[in-house]
Amino acid sequence: MRFQDAARDARAVVYAGIQADPLVARAGELLAEATAAERLMARAAMNGERTDPDVWRRIFPSLFGEVRGEGGAAEAPEAAEGAADRARAEAILAISLEIAERGEAARSSYRGAVVEELTARLLARRAGPAAVKRERRVLFDGVRAEIHPYDVTVESDAQPEVYDCKWGARGINADVLNQLDDARAHAADEEISLAVAVVVFDARRSCEMRLDRSTAEHAGTRLIALESLDELAAGR
Amino acid sequence: MRAGEAYRHLADLAETVEDEWQYVNDLRDAYLPGILALGAAGGAGAAGGARGAITDAQAAAVDEAIAEIALISDPHKAIDWLSTFPHVVALALDGDLDGAVDASFGDSAGTVPDEDSPFRTLGGFR
Repeated sequence: MRFQDAARDARAVVYAGIQADPLVARAGELLAEATAAERLMARAAMNGERTDPDVWRRIFPSLFGEVRGEGGAAEAPEAAEGAADRARAEAILAISLEIAERGEAARSSYRGAVVEELTARLLARRAGPAAVKRERRVLFDGVRAEIHPYDVTVESDAQPEVYDCKWGARGINADVLNQLDDARAHAADEEISLAVAVVVFDARRSCEMRLDRSTAEHAGTRLIALESLDELAAGR
Repeated sequence: MRAGEAYRHLADLAETVEDEWQYVNDLRDAYLPGILALGAAGGAGAAGGARGAITDAQAAAVDEAIAEIALISDPHKAIDWLSTFPHVVALALDGDLDGAVDASFGDSAGTVPDEDSPFRTLGGFR
């Protein structure tokens, strides 16, 4: 088994431009530090109809409420922590709305690129940046190569990993699951333990529903959903 | 509860995507009872017991979320929001959709699946 850069067709070249947009990197950086609730807000705001930040502050009062310390002191440690939390939430909201403002057609590509960027950043915390690659294919002896590259890979001799990244649970389909499971099975034929997973920036429960209805083999495929993205960094 | 009614309307719109009829109905069946329970319990959730009246900020949050989904006209976007809206409402009301799911959208950044979660036992990682 070996990893290989994917050949770039015209669509991939255009998408590479989006992946390289500094906006995507900033979003990935902020979301890597975010709480689960802040990631939920980002999902909602990036997919919203309105881009007025006050609307989103009202929808997520627990992220933007004033926090005061014991006795109501604004300078207490809890207040300082609350101010930092609020600043982070504001930054995540701002970048989410910046993506939303790219328009309906572009935002979908940006959202996908953000999920990939976030996945790569979280994995790099555990595996180290050098091991984490993007848009790679996996080649196996005697097996015709898949056309579709994996969004993110961890290329480690000890525990190689491949990830497909999705904005929503609706992206979980038979093609995705079959490709991941085929890769896992082909690696096993070469006595290599290849971890395969789908990362979905959507609620776990919705992903479970999607998986429950799928007839594609996925028992060996891990799901990392919106609530548990930090598992990527922890390797759980 | 108005949130439940808004969710039904959203599902009706989403249902026009014929290929996703089953998924749309799975989402509706899974989430609508939780949304209605949140409203009935004043934000405490189906399993949370009585928590009392919701705050003005919480009521405003739900109203804004309802207004947001009422603006959606694209059925594909409606499908996305069928998954998102229930969790937004639960977070706003500080409640659970079914006693477990939305604990994960609380203030913890590093959530871990339940011991019996299928995602703990699916494949791979050590």
